[in-house]
Formats: sequence, C-alpha cells, structure tokens
Amino acid sequence: MNADNRKGELVELKNQLRQLAGSRAPGVEDVKRELYKKVISYMTIGIDVSSLFGEMVMCSATSDLVLKKMCYLYVGNYARGHPDLALLTINFLQKDCHDEDPMIRGLALRSLCSLRVMNLVEYLVGPLHAGLKDSNGYVRTVAAMGVLKLYHISPSSCTDNDFPATLKTQLLQDSDAQVVANCLCALQEIYLAEASRSDGSLKDRDSLYTTSVIYLLINRIKDFSEWAQCLVLDVVSKYVSSNPEESFKMMDILEDRLQHANSAVVLATIKVFLHLTLSMADIHQQVYERIKAPLLTLVSSGSVEQSYAVISHLHLLVLRAPTVFASEYKHFYCRYSDPSYVKKLKLEMLTAIANESNTYEIVTELCEYAANVDVAIARESIRAVGKIALQQYDVNAIVDRLLQFLEMEKDYVTAETLVLVKDLLRKYPQWSHDCIAVVGNVSSKNVTEPKAKAALVWMLGEYAYDMLDAPYVLEGFVENWAEEESAEVRLELLTAVTKIFFKRPPESIKMLGAALAAGLADAHQDVHDRALLYYRLLQQGVEIAERVVNPPKQAVSVFADTQSSEIRDRIFDEFNSLAVVYQEPSYMFLDKEHRGPIELTEDTGILPMDSKLSDDVLPSQHVEANDNDLLLSASEREESRGGVGNGSYAYSGPDLSGFDTPSPAAPSNNASLSSTSHTSPAIDDLLGLTFPAAPVPTSPSLKLKPKPLLDPATFQRKWSQLTIASTLDHTLSQPAALPSPQPLLRHMQAHSIECMASGGQAPKFKFFFFAQVADSPPSTGFFLVEFVVNTSSGISQAKVKADNADLVTAFGNLFVSTLRKFGSS
Amino acid sequence: MPVAASAVYFLNLRGDVLINRMYRDDVGGNMVDAFRTHIMQTKELGTCPVRQIGGCSFLYMRISNVYIVTVVSSNANAACAFKFVVEAVALFKSYFGGAFDEDAIRNNFVLIYELLDEIMDFGYPQNLSPEILKLYITQEGVRSPFSSKQQDTRPPANATLQVTGAVGWRREGLVYKKNEVFLDIVESVNLLMSQKGTTLRCDVTGKILMKCFLSGMPDLKLGLNDKIGLEKEAQAKARPSRSGKTIELDDVTFHQCVNLTRFNTEKTVSFVPPDGEFELMKYRITEGINLPFRVLPSIKELGRTRMEVNVKVKSVFGAKMFALGVVVKVPVPKHTAKASFQVSSGRAKYNAALDCLVWKVRKFPGQTELTMSAEVELISTMVEKKSWTRPPIQMEFQVPMFTASGLRVRFLKVWEKSGYNTVEWVRYITRAGSYEIRC
Repeated sequence: MNADNRKGELVELKNQLRQLAGSRAPGVEDVKRELYKKVISYMTIGIDVSSLFGEMVMCSATSDLVLKKMCYLYVGNYARGHPDLALLTINFLQKDCHDEDPMIRGLALRSLCSLRVMNLVEYLVGPLHAGLKDSNGYVRTVAAMGVLKLYHISPSSCTDNDFPATLKTQLLQDSDAQVVANCLCALQEIYLAEASRSDGSLKDRDSLYTTSVIYLLINRIKDFSEWAQCLVLDVVSKYVSSNPEESFKMMDILEDRLQHANSAVVLATIKVFLHLTLSMADIHQQVYERIKAPLLTLVSSGSVEQSYAVISHLHLLVLRAPTVFASEYKHFYCRYSDPSYVKKLKLEMLTAIANESNTYEIVTELCEYAANVDVAIARESIRAVGKIALQQYDVNAIVDRLLQFLEMEKDYVTAETLVLVKDLLRKYPQWSHDCIAVVGNVSSKNVTEPKAKAALVWMLGEYAYDMLDAPYVLEGFVENWAEEESAEVRLELLTAVTKIFFKRPPESIKMLGAALAAGLADAHQDVHDRALLYYRLLQQGVEIAERVVNPPKQAVSVFADTQSSEIRDRIFDEFNSLAVVYQEPSYMFLDKEHRGPIELTEDTGILPMDSKLSDDVLPSQHVEANDNDLLLSASEREESRGGVGNGSYAYSGPDLSGFDTPSPAAPSNNASLSSTSHTSPAIDDLLGLTFPAAPVPTSPSLKLKPKPLLDPATFQRKWSQLTIASTLDHTLSQPAALPSPQPLLRHMQAHSIECMASGGQAPKFKFFFFAQVADSPPSTGFFLVEFVVNTSSGISQAKVKADNADLVTAFGNLFVSTLRKFGSS
Repeated sequence: MPVAASAVYFLNLRGDVLINRMYRDDVGGNMVDAFRTHIMQTKELGTCPVRQIGGCSFLYMRISNVYIVTVVSSNANAACAFKFVVEAVALFKSYFGGAFDEDAIRNNFVLIYELLDEIMDFGYPQNLSPEILKLYITQEGVRSPFSSKQQDTRPPANATLQVTGAVGWRREGLVYKKNEVFLDIVESVNLLMSQKGTTLRCDVTGKILMKCFLSGMPDLKLGLNDKIGLEKEAQAKARPSRSGKTIELDDVTFHQCVNLTRFNTEKTVSFVPPDGEFELMKYRITEGINLPFRVLPSIKELGRTRMEVNVKVKSVFGAKMFALGVVVKVPVPKHTAKASFQVSSGRAKYNAALDCLVWKVRKFPGQTELTMSAEVELISTMVEKKSWTRPPIQMEFQVPMFTASGLRVRFLKVWEKSGYNTVEWVRYITRAGSYEIRC
C-alpha cells in the first residue's frame, strides 16, 4: 500500500465515521465496529491514524461495550498528542465512572487514567477517590493502579491529594487480595520514585517492610493470585527478620509455596528463604537442600524459555553452593536437543560441582561433548575439562583426556586444548614431561588460532630442554614473522625466542637476531617495544637479561577469579530478576537515562577495586582475558610496561652484530638508559606510585574539559587499572553546608568535575568524581577521584588516579581549591 | 518488582506487527524495529531468549508461527514474564478454541486487545484465569452478568470475589446432567545412554491432567501409589504398608486448587477442581524407572564410502500392551548418497533434510524385538578423513496404559454435598521425552 493510497483510505474512514456519529439507525453499531476495527488494525501496524481523533471520539457515545473498549484503546494511544481533543473524551469517561455496572466503572476509570495528558490531571482526582472507595473490588483494583498512573503523569498532584496514604490504609484493610497487591506495587514504585526525587530517604518505602505489613501479607498469601504472590514474596524477601524463631515461623508458613506450579512463585519463595537465612550458615545450607528438588523439577518442565529463566537461577545457586548439587550432576548433562544457551550454563554447572567422587563421570561426559557437532559447545566443553583439571588435586586422569583431545585432530579442539595444557603446566609443572611429549607431536601447521599459537610458542620457549626440535619449530615461526597477523603471537614469539636463547644458545642465536630485527621493525608498538627492551637487556649482559626474562618460575596456585565475589553477592541480592540472567548486577545494564548517578549503598563502594572486567558477560572471555595477562609472569609484565613507558627514548639503531656470543656485552648505550627504569628496584614509579624524588612538571594552567563524558564501565576499568597517584586531605571550612550530597555535586559540576557515583548517609558521604583535561582526545586524560567526607567534622580525603600521572599535582591543587570555594561560596 | 512490562508485541515470522500493546511510556515506540533489526534479522535469533538492546530487555518466545515479545526497562523477573506469556497464550487458546497462530490472532485481534487490557494493568499481571474472565469478556460484547441493568437487580455477593479471584478457579452454580471426571497420567521419559549401554541419565517427568464436568462445589481426593502418601496412610492406620510397588516422587508441584497444607500434613491430594480441563500436578522421578525400549545399535564404517547400520529395538513392557508411533532416527553423515534397508517391521527411509535414517513402526507390541539393518553409501569427498561426529540415536514413541514410573491411581473420590454419583475415567500414557542413545 503506498502513501497516497493510504491517505485516501484514511479520508474515507474519516467521512464514514462522521456520517455515523449522529446516526441512531438500527445496525449502526455493527458498521461502527467494522470501522473501528479497521482503525485499530492500522494503529497496530504502525500507521498514524491520529488524524481521526475527533471523529473517533464523536462516535464513541455508545452503549456497546466492545465499541467502547476499542475507542478507549485508541484514545489511550493518541491522547497525548491531542490534549485538547482528549478533553472531549473526559465527559463520557466521567459519566461511565458512575455507571451501575462495576465492569464499566472499572473500565472507564482505567481508560481515564491511561490518557496520560498533563492538563487533564484535575479530572482524575475525583474519580480516583471514588474508585478507591468503590464497593466493588474490581473497581478498587483499577483505582489502585490508577493512582500509580497518576503519579507517573504528575507526582505532585498524586502526593498532594494524599493518595499514597490512602493506598497504605487500603493495603492494610482491603478485603480483596488483588486490591492489596495492586496497592503494594503502586506504593513500592511511588515511594522509590519519591525517594530519588527528594532527599533520597527510603523511609517511606521501608515502612512497607515492617513486621505488621509483612505478617499481614504472609498470612493472606493463599488469597493472592499467583502473580500477586510473586509480588508479595518479593516484598517479603526485603524484610529483615528480628530473630531466628521469626524466620522459622515465616518459612513454615511459606514452605508449601515451593510446591507451586508457577516457577516464578517458586523462585520468589526461594529468594525469601535464602535471604531469611543469610545469617544462619547451617540453616542456609539446609535451605539449599530443600530447594534442590523443586528447582530441578522446574528446569525440566515448561517451555525452553521458562526453563532457561530457571536454569539461570539454578546456575547462580550451584556456583554458590556446589557441594549441595554435587550428587545431582546427572541432571546437568546436556540433551542433544538443548539450545546452546542452556548447554553453556549446564557446562558451567558441571564444572562447578566436579569433586573427587564425580569427576570421572563428569569429565567422561564432557569429553563426549568435545565431539559435539556444535563447535561453540565443543570448545566450551574442552575449556570445562581444563577448568576441572585446574581445580582438582588429582588431575592424573584428566591430563590423559586432555592429551587425547590433541589426537582428535580437529583444529578447534587442538587449539582449545593447547591453551588448556599451557595453563595446566603453569599450575602443575610436574606434568611437563607427559604433556610436552604429546604437544611436541602437534604439527604447528594445524594450529591457526592466535591463542593456541601463543600457547604453543610459550611452551616451546619454556620447555626448550624437553623438546628437541623446539628451536627449529620456533625458527619456522620467526621465518613467517611477516605473515603472522596476531600481535599476541609475535609478542609471545619474542619472549620464547629470547628464553630459548638462554637455554640452547648455539641453536638459537641466529633466530634471536632475526626475531629482534623483525620485532624492531614491527608496526605494532608493543611488539616493537618488547623487542627493543630485550635488545637492551641483552646489551646489559646476558645474565642480567636472563634474570629478567627467564627467572625460575613459581607454579601458579590459584588463577584469578573471573568475577569478584562482591559482584556475585550483588547478583545474589537481586535473585529472581534479570540480573541473574545477564549475570551482572542491575546497575550495569539498566538504561542510562534511568540510571542517573549510581547510588552507593551505605559504605560499601559500588566500584570494587579488584573487580576484573566485570562488564564482560561471558565467562569464557574472562578466561581469555586472564590468559593474556597471565601468560606473562609477574616480572615479565613489569618488563613490558617498562618497555612501553620507555618508548619515547631516542635510540640509536640497534646493532645486532654487537654481540654474537652469550658473553656480557659492553654497555655501549648505557648513557641513554640512565633513567633506571629497566632494573627491578625502580619499577615502582612505572606503576604510578608516588615517587618523592621525581620532579613533577607542574602545569599551572591545567584546564578541564567542561563536560567530560565517561561511562561507568570505563570508569570502573580505569579505576581498577590505575593506582592511586595522590592522596589529598582537606578540611571543609563549612561542614554544615553539606546536609545532602546534591549541593556539592552541583558545585563540582560547575567546575567541570563530574560525579560518577555517590552514596552514604549523613554524616559520612562517599563520591566518585571524574574530570578530563581539556583538548585531550576522548577516553584519555582522565582524572578519577574517590572522595570521602565526614560532614560533621568536615574532614575529607580524596584519592586521585590519573591517566596522565604528570598532571596529578596540578589537578590535586585544582581539586582542593575547588573544594575550598565550595565552603566559601 | 515482578514484571512491570513496558510493552507486549506479537509478531509474525516476517516481523509484521500483529498486536502491539504499550503499557508504559518508559520505552520508545520503535521497540519493534529494534527487535526486528537486532534480533530477528540477525543470527541472534534463537541464541538466547533474553536480550538487551539499548537499555531495554527483550524477552521473547516463539509459539507456533508467532513471536511474542515482552519489553521491559527495569530489572524485571524473567521467570514471571515468560510464565505470563505462556498463561496468556493458554487463555487466548481457550477463547479461540484451539490453535494459536497468526491467522487466529488476525481474526481475533479485537478480542486480544480486550484481554490484554484486562490481564495486565500498567505492566503488572492481573487476573488471567479463563474461568473468571469468560464471565465478563465475551466475544459478543454483552454487558457483564453483574450489570444491574439485566435481570438481577443487584450483583450477587460472590461475583466480586470471583472477578478479583479469591477462589479464582471455580464459579458456583455449575450443573451437569452427567457428572464425569477424566484423569490422565502422562509421563515423558528422558534417557541418555552411552555407547556401552550404560544409562548416563534417566528421569521421568509426569503430569496429571484432569477434565472435570462436575456440578456444584465438589471436593476431590486423589490417592496414588507413591511412597510418602502410602507410608503416611499406613502410619495413620497403624498397620504396615501394603506390599506392592511404591513410587518415590522426587518432587511434586500442584495446581493452585490443591490444598497444600493438607498435602504437607496428611499427604493426600485434595482439591476443589476448576471446571473443565487443567493440569492437577507435575512430578519428577529418577529412581526405579522402567524403560519401555532397549536399543542396541551397531554402526560400522566400511572404508570411506560405505557404512553398515544395525539397530535392534526391544520392547520391555507387558506383552499385552503395544506402543504407537514408534520412530527411530539414526544419524548418518551429511554426504550420504543413498541407503538400502531391511526391516523386520515398519518402514525405513533416508531423510536427507535431517541427515538421518528414519525407521517408523506404527504399532510395536510388547516383549518383542524388531531390527532394522541398512547399508549406507557415502559420496566420496575430497575432504580427507575428518572423523564424523555421531549425534545420538533418537527415539519417539507413545505407550498407552503404561507408566515408566509405575505410578498408579489408587482411588479418586468425589464428594459433593448433593451426593450425586460420578463416573471416573483414568488413563495412562508414556511418551518419549528426549530418548537418546549414543552410538
């Protein structure tokens, strides 16, 4: 249908409606119905039919219920765009609000509240008051929700008319359970919004979580519909019980909810139980035992989507209490027909619950999946085997399995396995003999993925003594330097070649020269810098270089966790919500405009310093990210940073012929290397620690960007990467001027220092600020500040981190002077 | 906050909007487009039913040829949202009488809007019980039965209760000439067996479906041969529990009509049933399962272009019973050229779309052994020896009058104050859930 055509139809519809408006002929209702249907179907597919508004309203004076409903639907959709015309509908809606039939009263009231037109708010108040007092429960349910709608149109007219208080009374007294439920959700939303609108106090909302309200709700739990039960149970889970007896009593009453057919009710009940018992470790454990069976039933019933929602929660619980679920491992076996998002969760659960008694079965099963047709899942399974190997003490059998993977001769299997074997060797060096024998047989031509290549290269360098042909394999890699696309592999290659040089110099000296030359000519900055670093180290003397590049290694005992426990606790707090499905706390994924500055709860910072890449959803990515870091031993990492930091030094072209035996080379270039940054004692300043002697170039004219932009995820990443560059203590001159954080935020903002998050309660507040150097390119030149202030004493402390450490002092001065201005202004 | 859905959309497979109901203003009007461009038209479709686009979360599921998308902007409850959609679809079905698909939606869109308006208000689920909604939402658009304009001068006292659902599942004053109860125990048995014939995983998920045509407000009591119930009974009567098989249920969930308190104290299932069809309970069993079929496959690869497949299927249920619609799917490599078969019963052929040999036996008697042997010819490919990963053999079947768990109904008592007689019908059936045998 083209535009003209459509326009013509609309005009025709308009005319027809107009003709019918006044008509009282018999059968006219049926004609109207057909026309209305047409209008609604246009509306559905997204055609703008708002031009018919006047005609639609004129025709709506009818006693036909279906016609009425269609009209209300239409009006509700377009009233906002036509506030003046919407006024026309008010009249008959108000009339209907007094109809004898409660269904019509309810319907009219609901439609009235759905108009969402600011200047019609005055017409809402009366009918709402009447509706809340209506003798019919249906009308009251509609009215309770209507109050919430009113609040969203105009908060002030809602609160001014005392609606929240009325709802509160209704909540406690109404005989109809659905009315109570609707009051409850309306009040929760209103109180929460009010709190963020005014002073941020949640006192009102917390008044919902008091003993009297909670008991009332629990005692009536069976009256509520399953949906209302979800809501009520969610409210109950926020209640903090005063003593264990009370918790037991509550759980007694609610226990039969675990048998409910609605998975949402069961999950909500589980949340209540888990939260009630948080402080009682042994009971908490028993709760896990109790909820195991219902959860497993829910997983295997209902549609795939429903079971996915449940399995995400099960996943969370399994990771928290793996031992409880260890005996149920067979439930987590994948079905061939499971969608891959379910399989992935199941694999992670299998990994988590593996212990001495079931490892054999689990690993056997996982090996089956490695041959799975679904490549992504096959990879996941291999990784899972590796993870189990890393968390077990008795890895004997698993190592054999892993090595068998290499014999399957599938590229992706080989690739994944190599990465795992590398990790395994770092934890259990004693296995090197067995592994290396097999890895040595892997033809390097079959390894194409960068990660796998890097792993192979690392092993070649590390176990050069055990692999006879290691130098020659590496030589092949060096010869193909130009074709190697991945910088990761090239970096690893440099290290491996250098290491092998210390171990088997005669065979590798030529290759080392070639590799360093290629590295220095490399376009990638990191590769170039590492090559230069090694070159200079070697100039300092082979022994020194060996001490740095190839020191004796300690086995890694524990690999860094992928998600900080703090994040996991936050997700657990939000049990039974999308946070669990996404595996990240809700503040990370909710819309930015809804988000505003993140609120800190009490004194627990929302920005955990140790959080690792918490914005990554997929755990597998975490693993890879970690691999990157961990591939380098600690000292190596420092080295490479040193290299980067040193990139600005002028250097005379390295002369590779300068050393051709592994004897200490003459320190010819020593002068240019004076600044100590290569040897380990002076590494500190590279990491940004304050170095008292280091002269900081003060730039008095530090200018900040007026409106710096930084998203929370980046802030967090930067915060965890950077170290504290400076700590500033300052006493506010007028501490009393800070009853709430808002004035300070505005003041700082006026001086180009933005707030990322704030929180705390009087007298102690905590802020995270950030600012950016003017004219710096996006995502660089940031200053991050953690600012803690005690408003009663006026003592404050700011911890500053910066992208550019040189400017810290200048920024510190600016920050303090800004604070000072706040006191005096 | 349980759900607070901002909008609900129904789309067909091409992405055309069938139904579009906005409940809140906190999401933009272009959410359908977002769903279409970011999910439907990408490989993302089917990778995960919960996705986030631009700060909004999309929870979607496909039902026949329709996508139902719930859009939320808050940290909603996913389980609740999916359950709501499932229940809503059941409700629509009960209105349309049967199918829920694109055509049904197009034909009934006014009714659907009407219902959507009623079952969710401002994003919060309200009353979804078909029993109650049918009292006042009818396709004819008549006035509600409580309207004082009609015969009655004032609404009956309990009507209010019904609409807002205190005893939401049954209305009073039902009359049937013939009082009948139908009870079906439907079990689906899930199996995962290794090449060596050891059971890796086996469980039964069962449900009891009921259809009640009973007058008045009857009280029903159901007795099963499950362990807990029997032990409780034996205790109460102070005599040892009867010999015979008892079943251990791992877990049970009930329809909201079942008095859970009484189940927990007395271990009897007692309830006032809704009128018509409903699912009384669901259960799960992992111990003591009688597998109806044993499958003994042998697959030999003879050289690069030939395979020999031999599948022996043995029915291990009673000789007087029989299974219906038995299908055995044996996977073969993608480059299969053709296959020739020999079967002792039924028909077999090669299905290239599934990459499977499909062997169908319409009626499979108990205690018998049937075999299929096939010679499979493969196209010789240039791709060298890449070993073929074999998906498991899958089986479908239905066995009437058989329960894999051994669960039986011991009694079903109907009690109503008028004391009428009822006819009770009990049926059993076991189906294949995911019945997989690795080969």
